[in-house]
Amino acid sequence: MNGWTLFYNPMTLDFYRLLWLLLPLCAFVAITYKTIRVENLRRLPLEILLLCVYLVLGLSGLGVGLYIVQRLWM
Amino acid sequence: MVDTAMRSSPRAMLALLLAWLVPGAGHVYMGRTARGVIIFLTIGATFWFGVAMGGVMTVDSRNERWWFIADMFTGVHGLVSWQRQEKVWNRLIDEDGQAQRLAQLDPLQQQAVADKKLNDAGLALVAPTDTVARAFAGVAGLLNLMCIFDAAMLSLMGIRGEPAEKVSKGRQGP
Repeated sequence: MNGWTLFYNPMTLDFYRLLWLLLPLCAFVAITYKTIRVENLRRLPLEILLLCVYLVLGLSGLGVGLYIVQRLWM
Repeated sequence: MVDTAMRSSPRAMLALLLAWLVPGAGHVYMGRTARGVIIFLTIGATFWFGVAMGGVMTVDSRNERWWFIADMFTGVHGLVSWQRQEKVWNRLIDEDGQAQRLAQLDPLQQQAVADKKLNDAGLALVAPTDTVARAFAGVAGLLNLMCIFDAAMLSLMGIRGEPAEKVSKGRQGP
Protein backbone atom coordinates (compact mmCIF):
# COMPACT_ATOMS: atom_id res chain seq x y z
CA MET A 1 0.00 0.00 0.00
CA ASN A 2 1.31 3.41 -0.93
CA GLY A 3 1.02 6.48 1.25
CA TRP A 4 -0.13 6.78 4.82
CA THR A 5 -3.64 5.89 5.95
CA LEU A 6 -5.21 6.81 9.28
CA PHE A 7 -6.16 3.78 11.43
CA TYR A 8 -3.97 1.59 9.18
CA ASN A 9 -0.39 2.85 9.33
CA PRO A 10 1.21 3.84 12.66
CA MET A 11 2.01 7.48 13.37
CA THR A 12 5.52 8.67 14.08
CA LEU A 13 5.42 10.25 17.51
CA ASP A 14 7.98 12.72 18.76
CA PHE A 15 9.51 11.23 21.90
CA TYR A 16 9.85 14.63 23.62
CA ARG A 17 6.20 15.54 23.10
CA LEU A 18 4.79 12.24 24.32
CA LEU A 19 4.01 13.59 27.76
CA TRP A 20 1.28 15.80 26.29
CA LEU A 21 -0.67 12.62 25.57
CA LEU A 22 -1.08 12.26 29.31
CA LEU A 23 -3.74 15.00 29.13
CA PRO A 24 -6.25 13.18 26.89
CA LEU A 25 -5.59 9.91 28.72
CA CYS A 26 -6.34 11.52 32.09
CA ALA A 27 -9.41 13.20 30.60
CA PHE A 28 -10.76 9.90 29.25
CA VAL A 29 -10.14 8.14 32.58
CA ALA A 30 -11.77 10.98 34.55
CA ILE A 31 -14.83 11.11 32.28
CA THR A 32 -15.47 7.37 32.44
CA TYR A 33 -14.84 7.05 36.17
CA LYS A 34 -16.95 10.05 37.15
CA THR A 35 -19.74 9.08 34.76
CA ILE A 36 -20.39 5.93 36.73
CA ARG A 37 -19.62 7.37 40.18
CA VAL A 38 -21.31 10.76 40.30
CA GLU A 39 -24.75 10.93 41.93
CA ASN A 40 -26.06 13.98 40.11
CA LEU A 41 -25.24 14.33 36.42
CA ARG A 42 -25.39 18.11 36.66
CA ARG A 43 -22.23 18.00 38.76
CA LEU A 44 -20.45 15.81 36.21
CA PRO A 45 -18.39 18.48 34.35
CA LEU A 46 -17.03 19.92 37.62
CA GLU A 47 -16.23 16.48 39.04
CA ILE A 48 -14.47 15.48 35.81
CA LEU A 49 -12.42 18.65 35.79
CA LEU A 50 -11.38 18.17 39.42
CA LEU A 51 -10.39 14.53 38.94
CA CYS A 52 -8.54 15.40 35.74
CA VAL A 53 -6.53 18.08 37.55
CA TYR A 54 -5.78 15.67 40.43
CA LEU A 55 -4.64 12.97 38.01
CA VAL A 56 -2.40 15.28 35.99
CA LEU A 57 -0.88 16.86 39.11
CA GLY A 58 -0.44 13.50 40.82
CA LEU A 59 1.20 11.85 37.83
CA SER A 60 3.37 14.90 37.17
CA GLY A 61 4.47 14.91 40.82
CA LEU A 62 5.24 11.21 40.62
CA GLY A 63 7.24 11.78 37.45
CA VAL A 64 9.23 14.65 38.99
CA GLY A 65 9.81 12.61 42.15
CA LEU A 66 11.08 9.61 40.23
CA TYR A 67 13.25 11.88 38.08
CA ILE A 68 14.85 13.38 41.18
CA VAL A 69 15.41 9.92 42.71
CA GLN A 70 16.96 8.73 39.47
CA ARG A 71 19.25 11.78 39.22
CA LEU A 72 20.36 11.68 42.82
CA TRP A 73 20.76 7.99 43.59
CA MET A 74 21.28 6.20 40.29
CA MET B 1 -41.24 7.78 45.85
CA VAL B 2 -37.64 7.50 44.69
CA ASP B 3 -36.46 6.38 41.30
CA THR B 4 -33.97 3.99 42.79
CA ALA B 5 -36.61 1.89 44.46
CA MET B 6 -35.87 -1.79 44.34
CA ARG B 7 -37.83 -3.12 41.43
CA SER B 8 -37.81 -6.43 39.68
CA SER B 9 -34.18 -7.21 39.01
CA PRO B 10 -33.29 -7.33 35.32
CA ARG B 11 -31.18 -10.17 34.17
CA ALA B 12 -27.64 -9.50 35.39
CA MET B 13 -26.05 -11.66 32.71
CA LEU B 14 -27.79 -9.66 29.98
CA ALA B 15 -26.58 -6.38 31.52
CA LEU B 16 -23.07 -7.80 31.72
CA LEU B 17 -23.12 -9.06 28.13
CA LEU B 18 -24.54 -5.79 26.78
CA ALA B 19 -22.01 -3.74 28.75
CA TRP B 20 -19.16 -5.80 27.30
CA LEU B 21 -20.42 -5.97 23.72
CA VAL B 22 -21.30 -2.29 23.32
CA PRO B 23 -19.65 -0.05 25.94
CA GLY B 24 -22.39 1.90 27.72
CA ALA B 25 -25.20 -0.41 26.61
CA GLY B 26 -25.32 -1.99 30.07
CA HIS B 27 -26.07 1.40 31.60
CA VAL B 28 -28.68 2.17 28.95
CA TYR B 29 -30.29 -1.20 29.78
CA MET B 30 -30.31 -0.20 33.44
CA GLY B 31 -32.17 3.02 32.60
CA ARG B 32 -29.14 5.31 32.77
CA THR B 33 -29.21 6.42 29.15
CA ALA B 34 -27.19 9.63 29.46
CA ARG B 35 -24.40 7.81 31.29
CA GLY B 36 -24.49 5.01 28.72
CA VAL B 37 -24.07 7.46 25.86
CA ILE B 38 -21.16 9.22 27.60
CA ILE B 39 -19.48 5.86 28.31
CA PHE B 40 -19.99 4.73 24.71
CA LEU B 41 -18.43 7.89 23.30
CA THR B 42 -15.55 8.00 25.78
CA ILE B 43 -14.54 4.33 25.55
CA GLY B 44 -14.82 4.48 21.75
CA ALA B 45 -12.75 7.67 21.59
CA THR B 46 -10.05 6.25 23.89
CA PHE B 47 -9.79 3.00 21.95
CA TRP B 48 -9.80 4.52 18.45
CA PHE B 49 -7.41 7.29 19.54
CA GLY B 50 -4.96 4.47 20.30
CA VAL B 51 -5.65 2.67 17.04
CA ALA B 52 -5.28 5.94 15.12
CA MET B 53 -1.79 6.31 16.58
CA GLY B 54 -0.72 2.67 16.28
CA GLY B 55 -2.46 1.65 13.10
CA VAL B 56 -3.94 -1.73 12.29
CA MET B 57 -1.36 -3.70 14.32
CA THR B 58 -2.27 -2.03 17.63
CA VAL B 59 -4.48 -4.97 18.58
CA ASP B 60 -2.00 -7.81 18.28
CA SER B 61 -3.13 -11.23 19.46
CA ARG B 62 0.21 -12.89 18.74
CA ASN B 63 2.88 -10.70 20.27
CA GLU B 64 1.03 -8.55 22.80
CA ARG B 65 -1.23 -10.96 24.65
CA TRP B 66 -1.76 -8.93 27.83
CA TRP B 67 -2.67 -5.80 25.90
CA PHE B 68 -4.83 -7.97 23.66
CA ILE B 69 -6.82 -9.26 26.65
CA ALA B 70 -7.34 -5.66 27.81
CA ASP B 71 -8.39 -4.64 24.27
CA MET B 72 -11.02 -7.38 24.18
CA PHE B 73 -12.87 -5.77 27.08
CA THR B 74 -13.92 -3.00 24.69
CA GLY B 75 -16.34 -5.43 23.03
CA VAL B 76 -17.29 -4.52 19.50
CA HIS B 77 -14.41 -2.05 19.16
CA GLY B 78 -11.82 -4.67 20.06
CA LEU B 79 -13.47 -7.35 17.94
CA VAL B 80 -13.58 -5.13 14.85
CA SER B 81 -9.96 -4.14 15.36
CA TRP B 82 -8.87 -7.76 15.86
CA GLN B 83 -10.71 -8.83 12.72
CA ARG B 84 -8.96 -6.06 10.73
CA GLN B 85 -5.58 -7.06 12.15
CA GLU B 86 -6.11 -10.74 11.29
CA LYS B 87 -7.20 -9.86 7.77
CA VAL B 88 -4.14 -7.68 7.15
CA TRP B 89 -1.80 -10.21 8.81
CA ASN B 90 -3.09 -13.14 6.74
CA ARG B 91 -2.90 -11.10 3.54
CA LEU B 92 0.68 -10.09 4.30
CA ILE B 93 1.83 -13.59 5.23
CA ASP B 94 0.14 -15.27 2.29
CA GLU B 95 0.67 -12.57 -0.34
CA ASP B 96 3.27 -14.62 -2.21
CA GLY B 97 2.02 -18.09 -1.27
CA GLN B 98 4.58 -18.38 1.54
CA ALA B 99 2.19 -19.31 4.34
CA GLN B 100 2.88 -23.07 4.20
CA ARG B 101 6.64 -22.59 3.92
CA LEU B 102 6.58 -20.13 6.81
CA ALA B 103 4.70 -22.60 9.00
CA GLN B 104 7.62 -25.02 8.72
CA LEU B 105 10.09 -22.52 10.22
CA ASP B 106 10.78 -22.31 13.94
CA PRO B 107 8.95 -19.54 15.86
CA LEU B 108 11.95 -17.17 15.93
CA GLN B 109 12.43 -17.40 12.18
CA GLN B 110 8.68 -16.99 11.65
CA GLN B 111 8.78 -13.84 13.78
CA ALA B 112 11.76 -12.46 11.84
CA VAL B 113 10.00 -13.02 8.50
CA ALA B 114 6.75 -11.53 9.82
CA ASP B 115 8.59 -8.48 11.22
CA LYS B 116 10.27 -7.89 7.89
CA LYS B 117 6.97 -8.12 6.03
CA LEU B 118 5.33 -5.69 8.45
CA ASN B 119 8.25 -3.31 8.11
CA ASP B 120 8.14 -3.47 4.31
CA ALA B 121 4.40 -2.76 4.36
CA GLY B 122 4.90 0.26 6.68
CA LEU B 123 2.85 -1.37 9.43
CA ALA B 124 5.52 -2.21 12.01
CA LEU B 125 4.79 -0.65 15.37
CA VAL B 126 7.96 0.68 16.96
CA ALA B 127 8.78 2.61 20.13
CA PRO B 128 7.52 4.96 21.38
CA THR B 129 4.34 4.73 19.30
CA ASP B 130 3.66 1.09 20.22
CA THR B 131 3.58 1.77 23.97
CA VAL B 132 1.38 4.85 23.71
CA ALA B 133 -1.05 3.36 21.18
CA ARG B 134 -1.45 0.11 23.09
CA ALA B 135 -1.78 1.98 26.38
CA PHE B 136 -4.72 4.00 25.04
CA ALA B 137 -6.45 0.94 23.52
CA GLY B 138 -5.75 -1.16 26.64
CA VAL B 139 -6.89 1.53 29.06
CA ALA B 140 -10.14 1.77 27.08
CA GLY B 141 -10.67 -1.93 27.74
CA LEU B 142 -9.91 -1.59 31.44
CA LEU B 143 -12.24 1.40 31.74
CA ASN B 144 -14.98 -0.64 30.11
CA LEU B 145 -14.27 -3.47 32.55
CA MET B 146 -15.10 -0.98 35.32
CA CYS B 147 -18.34 -0.06 33.51
CA ILE B 148 -19.23 -3.74 32.98
CA PHE B 149 -18.78 -4.34 36.71
CA ASP B 150 -20.89 -1.28 37.56
CA ALA B 151 -23.72 -2.31 35.20
CA ALA B 152 -23.68 -5.87 36.59
CA MET B 153 -23.77 -4.61 40.18
CA LEU B 154 -26.65 -2.22 39.42
CA SER B 155 -28.50 -5.15 37.88
CA LEU B 156 -27.81 -7.50 40.79
CA MET B 157 -28.99 -4.86 43.26
CA GLY B 158 -32.08 -4.20 41.15
CA ILE B 159 -31.33 -0.48 40.83
CA ARG B 160 -32.83 1.02 37.69
CA GLY B 161 -32.78 4.61 36.50
CA GLU B 162 -30.93 7.60 37.84
CA PRO B 163 -30.51 8.05 41.58
CA ALA B 164 -33.15 10.29 43.12
CA GLU B 165 -32.03 13.87 43.73
CA LYS B 166 -31.44 14.68 47.37
CA VAL B 167 -33.82 17.31 48.67
CA SER B 168 -31.90 20.22 50.18
CA LYS B 169 -32.57 21.31 53.75
CA GLY B 170 -35.25 23.93 54.14
CA ARG B 171 -37.09 22.80 51.07
CA GLN B 172 -40.04 20.56 51.39
CA GLY B 173 -40.37 17.53 49.21
CA PRO B 174 -43.53 16.56 47.39
